Amino acid sequence: MRFHGLCGAAALTLALSSGAFAQQANLDLVEPVAEYKLYVSEQVSKLVMDTTAFTAAVKAGDVAKAKALFAPTRLSYEAIEPIAELFSDLDAAIDSRADDYENGEANPEFPGFHRIEYGLWEKNSTDGLAPVADKLLADVKELDSRIAALTFPPEKVVGGAAVLMEEVAATKISGEEDRYSHTDLWDFRGNFDGARKIVDLVRPLIAKKEAKFLKTVDANFAQVDGILSKYKKGDGYVTYDKLTEADRKVLATAVNTLAEDLSTLRGKLGLD
Amino acid sequence: MLDPTDPIDSVPNALGRRYLLKGLGAAALGGALVVDGTSAAATEIAHRSVADAPIDGTASPNDRVPYLGVHQAGVVNPRPANGMLASFSVRAETLDALEDLFKTLTMRIAFLTVGGPEPQLDPKLPPADSGLLGPIIRPDNLTITVSVGASLFDERPWLAPLKPKHLLRMTGFPNDALDAALCHGDLSIQICANTQDTTIHALRDIIKTASRQLVLRWKQEGNVPVVAPGLDGRPESARNFLGFRDGSANPDSSDATAMESIVWVGKEDGEPAWALGGSYQAVRIIRNFVERWDRTPFGEQERIFGRTKISGAPLDMPDGHESDVPDYAADPEGKKTPLDAHIRLANARDSAAARNLILRRPFNYSNGVTKSGQLDQGLLFIAYQANLESGFIAVQNKLNHEPLEEYIKPIGGGYFYTLPGIRDAGDHLGSALVTAARGASR
Repeated sequence: MRFHGLCGAAALTLALSSGAFAQQANLDLVEPVAEYKLYVSEQVSKLVMDTTAFTAAVKAGDVAKAKALFAPTRLSYEAIEPIAELFSDLDAAIDSRADDYENGEANPEFPGFHRIEYGLWEKNSTDGLAPVADKLLADVKELDSRIAALTFPPEKVVGGAAVLMEEVAATKISGEEDRYSHTDLWDFRGNFDGARKIVDLVRPLIAKKEAKFLKTVDANFAQVDGILSKYKKGDGYVTYDKLTEADRKVLATAVNTLAEDLSTLRGKLGLD
Repeated sequence: MLDPTDPIDSVPNALGRRYLLKGLGAAALGGALVVDGTSAAATEIAHRSVADAPIDGTASPNDRVPYLGVHQAGVVNPRPANGMLASFSVRAETLDALEDLFKTLTMRIAFLTVGGPEPQLDPKLPPADSGLLGPIIRPDNLTITVSVGASLFDERPWLAPLKPKHLLRMTGFPNDALDAALCHGDLSIQICANTQDTTIHALRDIIKTASRQLVLRWKQEGNVPVVAPGLDGRPESARNFLGFRDGSANPDSSDATAMESIVWVGKEDGEPAWALGGSYQAVRIIRNFVERWDRTPFGEQERIFGRTKISGAPLDMPDGHESDVPDYAADPEGKKTPLDAHIRLANARDSAAARNLILRRPFNYSNGVTKSGQLDQGLLFIAYQANLESGFIAVQNKLNHEPLEEYIKPIGGGYFYTLPGIRDAGDHLGSALVTAARGASR
């Protein structure tokens, strides 16, 4: 029991000293977090605009137009995914996947972007999608109205960059997010931009102390950029199945390393 | 010792004293322990509970858990190192067919958990046994626990009126991503043993002998990490794949009185008479995102669970023992133990929470690699309770939206009713159910 006692005491001391440290860190982060909130509001405004056009195309039965608007509309949503935890109910309504529902696509409760994606690509039709489209637009507008009053805890914002990389590593790199349209590279663009935005906002706070760390992180973001730009087509990207095995491997290792590195960002900023 | 015609213990509880001494005797043969009914070691093992990690060097292939009793074995006796949950569809279109299935299962349980030589057949025929344990089957601490799902009743008008009142098809909770191929079933069989070979052998035996009535739907294997004997002799709860002790607050399964109220259905529960002595079994296959967990700050990991990672002590008494009871009344704002910490949500340690107690019997699983190149690991969660509604379902509803959800994803499982025990050598599983159904049809 002696061993446990010592460990407990050590942990307590650590917690006390890091408490003061965290307070300072929170002060330093006021400005970056405020700026981040601005970024999120802009992205959500764009999301409302794009979703309005997208859902209008769905409701008009214009399959081709709806297909063309699907990926670009999602871009701004994917960019704010680091903080999706702060509106998890809407995230489930907007962006959940068939796997989240027993019996998958057949489940009438399956909502949001991916329910529409399923109809557009698998059925090549907008049949039955009008209520789904209405609900999606309503949810996106609800998100927009919530952002202003939403508190952004600094540890959630900073942690969010890492969490998003975790999600990409765990359930996106396989291509399972946009499994019907294979527009995953668009999502990746949004995800990496959104995560990088957070790193850039806190960069000045750790630029001196953590130069080497930032260099590694930047290098990994650059690798991802390199891969994405190879697959650019027009304003967007080719489908995910075009990615070569070698490029998929580079992407996977870059994502895993980013997840590993960014998981230390909170601690480096003194956040508990 | 391996003669299957051995007189069989008829202790009502799988933890009967004779078994314990027998178990110790078997261990002593391996040189691990000296048998002395009054020694400290014997006392300690006699008090071992479901959550306790198996201790290195104490398991023997001759360990035997009696399969007869008022309750089925495999619920309150300590977990051996390996476990499996297999779910089946049942054909049984008639009551006779169902009775035949229960009799077949009982016969196989009687043989496999006692042990003995496998029958030798004409070599021109397929062998009677898979042979993976060799010509002599040893019990190896094997328990086989049979439970039935809601669909067994729902799809059979002659059985439907006898369905236990809380038994239902599992419905998804907010964090679930249930895979239909890993959910539900007409009948579940939980198989536990010292070694994985014994659990697999038992499953293959059952599949071979009961194929007329059973079709395998899904299965999940798991294990409990074996630990070195503790320095202070106190049992420790086994760790899960997130590195935390799991089951520190589990009720003491060696306390027969507590088990009668928490686990076993009694007269006061208002269940159909045939169900007395049974229990509700909740099964959940819960994936753990271990890579992500390993990249989560140590302090946050502890706050998510509400326990220190190293000792398992509650956060409000970090120098204490895992069995210490946290004092939430002294911490109403959650400054020491966050209000949404896993252990605080699951069990507020007040009189209201005492009505939601369940007996957990989980196993860690490690399956392979996901499509994204991550480890497919997690927890085969199995819990027993006398009331499913106020047990698992109530506890899980309290846990909905807990911070731990970011790291776990329930993907399968189901609810089942664990049949009452096989009372004596002339009895068979489900006999009271079959008798009740027969009575009702007359």
